[in-house]
Amino acid sequence: MPTVILLDVSLSMSRGVDIASPCPEDENVEGLMLRKDLAVHGCNILLDHFIQHCKLEFASLIVFSSVYKVLMPFTRDFESIKTALNLVEECDKTSIDVGLVGAAQHILEEWGNGTPCQIVLVTDGNAGTGQHSLQKSMMSSHSRGASQFPLPFPFPAKLTIVCIANPTEPCLQTSKPLYQRLIELNGEGDILVPDGSLSKKTVTEMFDQLIKNNFSSYSGTLHCGNLSAPVTLSPPPQPYCRHHDFEVMRVSVDSAIQVLGFLNTGDVSSPPAFSRHLVLPLSAKGDMVMLPKVDPGSDDEGGGGNDEGKIPSFCVLLHGGLKRENMVALCQVGENWHGILYSWADNKKKSNLMLSLFVPGLDVIPWMGKLSYLGPASQLPVNPYGPSDTSSPFPLKVHEKKSYALNCVVWVRQGGLQSDIQKILRHARKLPDKIQSFYKELNRVRRAALSYGFGELLEGLANVLERECTLLPSTAHPDAAIQLQHAYEALRNSDKKDIRQNIAPLKTTFSGND
Amino acid sequence: MTFPTSHKTVFVMDHSLTTSSGVKLEMDSFSKSRSSSGSNSQPLVQPMNLIPLLPVTKSLWTCAVEAITEYCRIVWDIFPGTRLIRFIAVDKTTHKLSSWNLEDQSLTNLMNAFMMLGPAKNVGVGKLDLLKGLRAAIEALTEPSAIQHEKRTSLTENATKVLNKGRIILVTKVDCEEEVKTLKEKFHDTLLHLNKIAASTDNLMAINHCDLVLLNLWPEGPGCPIPRRSWPDVSTIMSCELTNIQGGTALAPKLCNLVLKHYDLASTTVTGIPMKEEQNASSSANYDVELFHPAAAHAAILKGIPAETAHLKTYREGTDYETVTLKWCTPRSNASIELQHCSSAYRITSVDVNSRPSSCLTNFLLNGRWVMLEMPRKSGSKVISHMLACHGGDIYIHTMYTSRSILEDPPSISEGCGGRVTDYRIPDFGELIKANRLAPYPDSALESDDNTTPLEKSREQLSRHTKYWPITLSTTSLFTLGSQIEPLTTLMLKETLTEAEVIECKQVILCLMSMEARGDPLPSPMAGQRGKGMKREDQYRVVWTELEQYLQLHLHSADHEKVLECFMECHNKVETPEYKGDDKVDIDQALKELDDYNYMTEREKADFNLSSGTKHTPAELPIPDSKRRRTAPPPLAPMGRSSGVSLLTLWENKVASEQSRRCLEFQGRLKAEDNVTKLYVSLQKDKDKDEGSRKKTT
Repeated sequence: MPTVILLDVSLSMSRGVDIASPCPEDENVEGLMLRKDLAVHGCNILLDHFIQHCKLEFASLIVFSSVYKVLMPFTRDFESIKTALNLVEECDKTSIDVGLVGAAQHILEEWGNGTPCQIVLVTDGNAGTGQHSLQKSMMSSHSRGASQFPLPFPFPAKLTIVCIANPTEPCLQTSKPLYQRLIELNGEGDILVPDGSLSKKTVTEMFDQLIKNNFSSYSGTLHCGNLSAPVTLSPPPQPYCRHHDFEVMRVSVDSAIQVLGFLNTGDVSSPPAFSRHLVLPLSAKGDMVMLPKVDPGSDDEGGGGNDEGKIPSFCVLLHGGLKRENMVALCQVGENWHGILYSWADNKKKSNLMLSLFVPGLDVIPWMGKLSYLGPASQLPVNPYGPSDTSSPFPLKVHEKKSYALNCVVWVRQGGLQSDIQKILRHARKLPDKIQSFYKELNRVRRAALSYGFGELLEGLANVLERECTLLPSTAHPDAAIQLQHAYEALRNSDKKDIRQNIAPLKTTFSGND
Repeated sequence: MTFPTSHKTVFVMDHSLTTSSGVKLEMDSFSKSRSSSGSNSQPLVQPMNLIPLLPVTKSLWTCAVEAITEYCRIVWDIFPGTRLIRFIAVDKTTHKLSSWNLEDQSLTNLMNAFMMLGPAKNVGVGKLDLLKGLRAAIEALTEPSAIQHEKRTSLTENATKVLNKGRIILVTKVDCEEEVKTLKEKFHDTLLHLNKIAASTDNLMAINHCDLVLLNLWPEGPGCPIPRRSWPDVSTIMSCELTNIQGGTALAPKLCNLVLKHYDLASTTVTGIPMKEEQNASSSANYDVELFHPAAAHAAILKGIPAETAHLKTYREGTDYETVTLKWCTPRSNASIELQHCSSAYRITSVDVNSRPSSCLTNFLLNGRWVMLEMPRKSGSKVISHMLACHGGDIYIHTMYTSRSILEDPPSISEGCGGRVTDYRIPDFGELIKANRLAPYPDSALESDDNTTPLEKSREQLSRHTKYWPITLSTTSLFTLGSQIEPLTTLMLKETLTEAEVIECKQVILCLMSMEARGDPLPSPMAGQRGKGMKREDQYRVVWTELEQYLQLHLHSADHEKVLECFMECHNKVETPEYKGDDKVDIDQALKELDDYNYMTEREKADFNLSSGTKHTPAELPIPDSKRRRTAPPPLAPMGRSSGVSLLTLWENKVASEQSRRCLEFQGRLKAEDNVTKLYVSLQKDKDKDEGSRKKTT
């Protein structure tokens, strides 16, 4: 998940660690440390974690006071963020809402509204002079329909407020309910306060906690029958919690990803995915390995790091097989939660194993049917893929055709009825050649008129057909007149017969065999 | 939203609306059009002596039914099976036209029901009791739908939390506001009363919330005197709204507005669809087609910065709802066989379903073509934001990812673990993939004897197919033989074998035997390091060892065992070690037991065979068939990363460790201090301990 480090650079961040006792008994220089130094220290811990474990993540650095500034746009170059942290300058007052607007804006521009993000707000636990305005804008967020106030974020986001403050500080006590309100408004998030008085140690512990809660990477096993490989998913999969029509779904991804069978890529037909993840094989030690690119000139025997590349991994085999056959693997990642594994190339030569998670549930891709009803094709009496692989059981056909495939009658718009009658007349003028089409259209309109309680139309249509009959040119086929007469008389007698009966063409000596 | 109000809707229709709607259809014009468009050979034979035809007028009832069927068409196209609608018509009596059953939720059935009901009837003044109809509608809402019933009786913790919400739409003509007020109040009283009754029964559900919509149908002409109004909170369980709807041209857009609101739908206009002209096939013009779909399909582009997307939204002529205009992109032919990344897919329906541009687009899609839709950005650039595609007869709008992907520039699979290995058995795995393809099971096949779903069956099959599966060529000799071991390796995977198949398998073994006897080289050059520099008999030995392991792992039936027996006989191995599936024997333990067995005396061996007869049964002993079938191989080779170990290596390790054990240093000498070793140290220790504890107790 992309992460925004939202750093408070107001003047109050330049306070010493403990204002109450400016000369702490510790002989070290911690007492002289400023809160912003501790904040930078903490951020570095987080960034070091990214460097170590989340190489494919993105992070950005935004600082705010009464204005916000994007110091470092989203990047995977975490070292550059660390450098930028050292150059932070202090500004004026704390305006948290300004900072949140900045984060929201930056994320929307970069990732749109569908990518889950994390916002780590590092502040000094003092909403300070901005407190009043924050309260005001929070209140107004309700009255004005949240047009300005950025919470809740217009994208899935976790907001963690990290307070570089002594837990007992009075201003933290007054600010905390405010922070709490911010988290509630966003719906997801947490507040972190050091456990014990402010020091490098407690801040380190606090950031370790932050990492543990929010930035731990996924580690699991990919199984396919008796074959398996340890893998990680990037980005780490998020638990699913959404309201469906008749239930609230809450599921998390298991540590075991189980391949259940395979499908043709064309058959799954671009199913909608809740999220997508790269599947990266882990080494025996549980590390993610990124080998240096092979230099075609040099021999493969490089350093010791290359050993990992030479231990076979099932992941690579699966990827190769899926790519070769142009197929996907249906897999289960949790209770009633499925997804597909496939080979994916980022429009370059590099291809990789990708996991697309469906929305949890068994009936989530209508054209695949209930997922639990999918079984081994080879065990069916007749293999639906055919002997030479030319047929496919997918997509599942719907039982009830939709209106656009039904030629249904719609007269609610102008012209609908007109064109239906014109169609009858067009066929009428080509009688007896178009006899079948004529009666088909006639019955279609007749049935609709009867359903709509529009008896008057039947009489009107009869009149039009009668006039058509009289207007027939002398060259017309005799059957034309006979059929027209039969039709308009039948329309007029609708009420005397079972109305469900269609008008059938009249059998004449001219109409040949039928 | 959970338990949406739109799940259940009841239309209560006033069947006494015989009043003219004022909507006329000129019948005379149809004949005139003939003479004007007639061929030149009969110029203007306009007969002057014809009596002009009377125009046809729709009644309010006709307008109402037309409008309601259109409403249902849109709903059922987009939400088949999940949004239910039923009908009640009221004249002197109440007619229930349909139920919550899924069969009733179709246009054909609806049209038939209205056909049987017939046109509007005149009832005497005061004979029409709309309240009776509303009462029937509330009763209908208290009946659970199939899915509500299923959830309610599901015996899960959520069963009690199933909420029953619904909407009742009364279609009538209201003449004064007083009427609305009475209807609303009486409705509320009835609702409370019927809720009480429902709560006291088992099979009915009390209504948690009901939305009453009064659809005031008014003839074409001057506007309706009663203004539109809504009462969002009549009480905690009821909201109410009065909407005017006028016959004629304004009817359709008003109706669309209502459907959009009730079902949270949105409109997309596909613009710039190239179509051949009807009259002149050589030229083509661009057309627009409007579609409806759940509003969520727009979330990905509209949620966020409003100013960025304001330019997408417009109002179509005569409508009072917004539509998002997206541009048609010339479709790529191979789009459907690639995986497009999309975040959602929703069913659509066309708004003017029978118009030529609409049916042209829908037919194009129904024929299997996919259409990309392009969204112009404010900056002027364009991005593909949606895709229209048909799956099995339903047309869907897919939402594509439009923003930067967090998965950009991913490492290649060759850069990770195992990426440098070049001898994966990828073609073989391709065959495994094809053999384990999934297909939907028909309902008839679902009732299996053992309650396993087809998907679980597939998982079992996969597990059977991977019992012994070296993932690289260098870890196997058996699978480098290619066609030589076919069809044995395919047949042994099956759950059961026929007599003929057993013979085929045996032939493979015998053929290999005779090759060895003849001294033929193995058919395929032994790939990988294992075969290099090996003597021919060693190569065969490796293959035999591996084949034995393979056969041991595939004892799915008595017939499978026959193949193994054949193998054993060929190699003069009398005993068939057989493992009970329920005894988890791991290889270490098995080897240890084997070791012990070798050191035993004859007597001990006999005893051992008796006591652990279930584990190691000599092949000659007759075993009941049922017992045999249940036997399964030990959970041996999870052929993952650690699977480089073959039986040969295991054996070699064992021999090595045995040898090292033989030349082990004498323990006494190892522990000796200054060449003196204390004997019976443990005895001394025990004694110390005893004394210590005795001291404590005393």
